[in-house]
Amino acid sequence: MAVNWLHKFAVRGRVPVFPVLGKQGDGVLQHLALSPRIELVDSPRHASVLLVAGEVPADRFEPLRRVHDQLPYPFTTLWFRSEPWPHLERVARIDDLDDLPGALVTAHRELMEGRRGSAHRLLPDEPPNPWEGEGDFGQGGEGMMGGVPYGRPMAMNMENDIRDGLTLDSLTFRLGPFFFAFPPGMAAEITLQGDLVQTWQTQLTPYPQPLDEVFFDARQRPVPIAEVELARARHHLHRLFHALHLAGLENVSLRTLRLAHGLSASSTLDGLRRALSRRGFFRLTAGGGVLGPEQARMIGGPAARAAGLDDDLRAEDAGYRRLGFSPVCQTAGDTHARWRQLLDEIDQSLHLARLAERDRVHTERTGSVETPRGPWSARRPADASALFDELLPGLEWGDALATVASLDVAGLADQPVGTRPSGESRAVRGGTGNDV
Amino acid sequence: MFSELFLPVLMVIFMLVVGGYAVAVLDRLVASALGTPQAGGIWLAPMARGAWLLTQHANATEAPDWRAWRLAPALYLALAAGGLAVVPWSASLVATDLVTSVVLWGSVEALATVVIFLHGWSANSLLALIGGYRYVALGLSYILISMFVLIGVALPAESLQFTQVVASQEGLWNVIRQPLGLPLFLIVGLGMTFWGPLNLADSTDLAGGTAAEISGPPRLVWDMARAAMLVAFSGVAATAFLGGWLGPWLPGLLWMSLKMLAVLSVLLLLGRLLPRLAPERCVTLMWVVLLPLSFIDLVWAGIGALL
Repeated sequence: MAVNWLHKFAVRGRVPVFPVLGKQGDGVLQHLALSPRIELVDSPRHASVLLVAGEVPADRFEPLRRVHDQLPYPFTTLWFRSEPWPHLERVARIDDLDDLPGALVTAHRELMEGRRGSAHRLLPDEPPNPWEGEGDFGQGGEGMMGGVPYGRPMAMNMENDIRDGLTLDSLTFRLGPFFFAFPPGMAAEITLQGDLVQTWQTQLTPYPQPLDEVFFDARQRPVPIAEVELARARHHLHRLFHALHLAGLENVSLRTLRLAHGLSASSTLDGLRRALSRRGFFRLTAGGGVLGPEQARMIGGPAARAAGLDDDLRAEDAGYRRLGFSPVCQTAGDTHARWRQLLDEIDQSLHLARLAERDRVHTERTGSVETPRGPWSARRPADASALFDELLPGLEWGDALATVASLDVAGLADQPVGTRPSGESRAVRGGTGNDV
Repeated sequence: MFSELFLPVLMVIFMLVVGGYAVAVLDRLVASALGTPQAGGIWLAPMARGAWLLTQHANATEAPDWRAWRLAPALYLALAAGGLAVVPWSASLVATDLVTSVVLWGSVEALATVVIFLHGWSANSLLALIGGYRYVALGLSYILISMFVLIGVALPAESLQFTQVVASQEGLWNVIRQPLGLPLFLIVGLGMTFWGPLNLADSTDLAGGTAAEISGPPRLVWDMARAAMLVAFSGVAATAFLGGWLGPWLPGLLWMSLKMLAVLSVLLLLGRLLPRLAPERCVTLMWVVLLPLSFIDLVWAGIGALL
């Protein structure tokens, strides 16, 4: 009786959801973050519902199985615009974004009230690598410090710290592709000493990133500049939302998201900019991640302009020139400069949108467009995540993650937001059958 | 027997429960006022969350140090209880009126470092371990500051007993007499409860840090312990700098509660308003700016005591 009462009472709180992002899945975060009944959590251990959002490619199935098994009992899964694995119990697929919060609440309620059984583990309860019990202390042989007890080196392989030369233990591990602080789909093998990054190797590149349809249209025909600039500002605000959450500024991150949702040409950034400045976002939070000229050119877009390169295809468009456009730039090229750059560009986009809306100005140049991710003329902006391998060693963990958040490295998808990603059918087929 | 043994224990348990609940409600109120959506009602939400954690299984990681992993949340709660035990609610209402209660609080601060590192280390998990490493750097930095500031309040009282520290503020509260003391001590409070800008141990960039791998009842105990430590710290801050139970018209118990709520509100507000300080900047700030300031505070207090 007491247990029933406890379960019924548990339903009255927010639903803790751990999102696993597939292709085009990150839109759900921006939708769910403002839902009062949903709590998006950063660790699968803190969740009641695993939400698989967007199609997960076959090469990420194994990590997905591991994440699935990390949720504590009782838990359930819900698949958004993604084909559920057929052998999971009571799987549910949702395709309408507006139905998603309600479906998550229902799943949690049914779980708590015992009307839905908990999902079961997919993997056997054993270490991913066998215990190699050799040596006097079962450390894996090769002396006291050389063993690999669970297929991983012990945290005793001394290396010189690349910052100050101190000899410390190092720890090598793999993180991703569902780590919330990485771009969706990215995985890396990292070696740390304490919380200092010694080496970083990007192993799985992020999913190609879809953009608003207006950028695709702008390559084909003249489009209203107001529409392009609002889409650009929205894209940047969504990135800022993620970075603010990472910095522990939850309420400002939600404010950013609200601004993005209600964005119009009459919106202003003054309040948000003031809030960020007063709360020390540019002074107290992690910095670092300075881009050199070549690295900046490789990424392009706002990151390049934050490093002092004034490349911007908008300057070559007669429509933009009529509005008095000229690129804004920073010089420092570090994480804070990139956020300042983004704020300046959002401001500039809102200003351009106001002018363009008043005078009904359209783009005039087709065939190439400055996307929020960078210039798209002959080729789409390509994945630049390999850049992290040279940029992040030497940074503390917080600085490294802030740098990752500040750089838009994923390549552009060949289709706009809302369309089914190419290769989806292959991914769906890969998710069924005996491979799970 | 009852007043010496059971009454103190009952008082501490009462404060753990009521104080922890007050922190949860206040934090939601602050979050709601700042625009974070809330559901289920401000008053019921903490209990609903507690009920959910009680229904959830405590998970396992790969080869954790089981005893240390399970004990760490309980130990942190025990440290908070130890701190609450020496907080005087009035001249006569104090669970344990030790003559060395200031020293006991100092040991609570020092042992918190050990327990929080233990929590991060024993999970045998990466992000939790980084949280533990970070906390050690922070803990070593704030303890010295705290010691200087606390000696500063013991000097005019000529005693290491919190009731005497309150009595010494009869004419003038320490917050006026030693203007650097309370601001420095609040920063220590943010550090030892790893809250808001100084939440380096259980931060968002570590997916919860030392708590990234815990679920169910151990997570409930950990959350309660963090809330209880905030309450204990608020009690010590109100005692050391705001004159404890002293005040006109109202009963001492009510004055003390109001002062604790005020300190608690400031801490919770700072937690929601400020971003997390980068660890390197945090340690630099502690050693280069705050530690010299705390020494100035001590010299100031010493001169004040001599005059």
